[in-house]
Amino acid sequence: MSISMALFSPPAPNLRTLLSSPRSLPKPRLTLKPSPSLMPKAPAFFAVSASSDNGAGAVPSSAVAVEEQGEPKVAVEPAKEPERENGSVASAPEEGAVAVAKFNDSRWVGGTWNLKQFQKDGSTDWDAVIDAEVRRRKWLEDNPESSSNDDPVVFDTSIIPWWAWMKRFHLPEAELLNGRAAMIGFFMAYLVDSLTGVGLVDQMGNFFCKTLLFIAVVGVLVIRKNEDVETIKKLIEETTFYDKQWQATWQDDNSGSSKNG
Amino acid sequence: RKLRAAVIGGGPAGSSAAESLASGGVETFLFERSPSSAKPCGGAIPLCMLDEFDLPHSLVDRHVTEMRVISPSNITVDFGKTLRPHEFIAMLRREVLDSFLRSRAESRGAELITGLVTDLELPRSSSSPYVVHYTSGGSKRSLAVDVVVGADGANSRVAKSIGAGEYSYAIAFQERIRLPDEKMKYYENLAEMYLGDDVSPDFYAWVFPKCDHVAVGTGTVRSKREIKAYQRGIRERARPKIEGGQVIKVEAHPIPEHPRPVRVRGRVALVGDAAGYVTKCSGEGIYFAAKSGRMCGEGIVKASEGGARMVGEEDLRREYLRQWDDRYVSTYRVLDLLEKVFYGSNWGREAMVELCGGEYVQRVSLESYMYKRLVEGDRWEGVKMAASTVATLVRCKIMSGEMGRLKAIA
Repeated sequence: MSISMALFSPPAPNLRTLLSSPRSLPKPRLTLKPSPSLMPKAPAFFAVSASSDNGAGAVPSSAVAVEEQGEPKVAVEPAKEPERENGSVASAPEEGAVAVAKFNDSRWVGGTWNLKQFQKDGSTDWDAVIDAEVRRRKWLEDNPESSSNDDPVVFDTSIIPWWAWMKRFHLPEAELLNGRAAMIGFFMAYLVDSLTGVGLVDQMGNFFCKTLLFIAVVGVLVIRKNEDVETIKKLIEETTFYDKQWQATWQDDNSGSSKNG
Repeated sequence: RKLRAAVIGGGPAGSSAAESLASGGVETFLFERSPSSAKPCGGAIPLCMLDEFDLPHSLVDRHVTEMRVISPSNITVDFGKTLRPHEFIAMLRREVLDSFLRSRAESRGAELITGLVTDLELPRSSSSPYVVHYTSGGSKRSLAVDVVVGADGANSRVAKSIGAGEYSYAIAFQERIRLPDEKMKYYENLAEMYLGDDVSPDFYAWVFPKCDHVAVGTGTVRSKREIKAYQRGIRERARPKIEGGQVIKVEAHPIPEHPRPVRVRGRVALVGDAAGYVTKCSGEGIYFAAKSGRMCGEGIVKASEGGARMVGEEDLRREYLRQWDDRYVSTYRVLDLLEKVFYGSNWGREAMVELCGGEYVQRVSLESYMYKRLVEGDRWEGVKMAASTVATLVRCKIMSGEMGRLKAIA
C-alpha cells in the first residue's frame, strides 16, 4: 500500500545508495509511513510535503510540522502502528514471559509473508513485501524473540523478483551516478577541447584520454562520498591483517635467531 | 644418547605430539597438570579426525546429523540434508577424548608426568638443555630436555617463557543444562547455532547436545564484559526448548583469535591453542590442535633422524611451521573472510542463513568441514553460488538500509 504513496513523490530525489550506510532521509518518505487508511487523502497531502522538501537543515522539523498540522490522523498513525502490533498480542497469552510482545502482522502467515494479501491491481506489490519484511526484521532486532519449533520462520528474500529490487533501489542511484558522470564528462571534454583544440571524436581516439575517462568512471562508481576513501583504505588494511598475523612468525627469521641456538 | 623432548600440556595437541615423538624414537616426557579435568569446550570433531587419529567410536557421545542455523529474525535453515548415512559431526566429552589420547601416547613410550609446569629456563648456549621447572606431588622438580613442545593451551606458560607475544582472544561462556527427557529428544542428533546482536556481536551462540545434557553458550571477542547479557540472550532465544532444564555447570574459557606473533623460537615450538590455531567463523580447535601436535612431533623426529641428532630452530621451522602453513593457511584465510563478511552485522547474518538454505552451499561447507579439504565442486554450481551470495548480500544490505531509515523516523 505504501508504494502507491511513493509514486506521488517522483520529483524528490531518492538519496539512498546501494552499499552505503543509511544517512539523510528523503523527506517525502517520512510521510509515507502512515498506514493505508490514509490513502484517499494522500495525494494532496504529499504534494504539500514534496514542495516543502527544499530546505536542507530545516527539513526534518518542517516535514514533521506539516505532518502535525495537516492531517491529525497522520501524526497518530506512526505512533499507533507499533501499538497495533503490541495490542494484538496482549490478548494472546504469553508463555510466561512478562513484557515481551511477539511480532504480529495479519499478512504474516505460517512463518512467511502471504503474498495473496499483497495484491495491488491484480499483481503482487513487491515493494510492500519488502517494507513488511524490513519492519519485521527491525521489530525482531529491537525485541528479540525466542525461536520456537511450532512456528518456524521460513521466509526467503529471493522470492522477491530481481527487477523489483532494481526498480526501487538501483535505478534511482544509477540515474544519479550517470548524471554525475555525464556532467564531469561534458565539462572535461569542453575543457580539453578549448585547451588543445582536439574535438570530442578525436579525444576518444587518444589513449591518454581513454585512460582519463576510465578513471573518471571508476571514480564515480567507487567513491560516492568523501568517507568512501577512508572506508576503502580501511577495507584494504583489514583484508590483509589476518594474513600479517600468520606471517608474523616468519618475520622473526632474521632477528634474534642466534639468541637461543 | 637419544634426543630428549618435553611436551607441556596433555590435551589433544600435547598427546598427539608426544605420541609422534615417542613412536619416532625420541625420549618424550608429557606434562599434564590435571588429568581428570574437563576442559570447557564445544566438543565437536570432524569425521576425518576419527580416521586420522584412529579414535574408537565408543568415545563418541552423539552423532549430530542436523545443524540448525537461526538468524536474528528467527529465519531457520536446516543443515544436513546433504549428509550421507555414514556422515555425522561427532560430539564427545573432552575428558574422555583427552584421557584416551594421553594413555595412547603413554603406551607408545611417552612418560606421563602429572605436575604443573611453573617455568621454562632458556639455555645459555646452543648446546645447553632447556630446564623445565615443575611441581609434582607437592615438591619442586626440574627436568633437562633438548626440545620443548608447548601445548599448554590459551594461557600458555611456554609461550610466555619464550616471549611469543600475545593474541586477541574470544571468551566462550557456556552453561550445561540437563533437560527433561521430552525436550532432550529434540536435541538427540541436532545442534543449533543462533545468530544476532542479542546473542553475540561478533560470533554465534549455540545449543550443543552432550552425553545427557545440552551445552548452551555464546562467545564474543569485543564485548567480553557483556558476556552475561549475551548468555541471557541465548537463554531467551532458545527458551521454549530449554525451559524446565537444570543448570549443572557453568564454565568459560578463552579462545585465541589468531596465531601468536612467534610460534617457534630456539628449540621450542608451540602447537594447538598455545600457538593460536583456532579457526575463525566456526571456532574449531580440537582437530587443528591434534594435527599440529602430530606434525610438530613428526617434524622433530624427521629432523633428528629418529632422535639421533640434535635439532635447531631452522629444523623446527622447516619441518613443522612450513609444512603447517603451506597446508592450512588458506583454510584459515577463507574462514576469516567468511567471518568478516557474515558475522559482522545483522544483515550479514541474515544473508548467511539465507545462503545456507541452498543445497550446494551445504554440501560444500559440510564436506570441507568433515574432510578438511576443498572438495572438487561443479564449476557451474560454484558460479551460481557466487552469484547468489552477492545477490543475497545486496538484498540483505538494502533491507538493513531500510531498517536504518525506519529507526531514524521512529
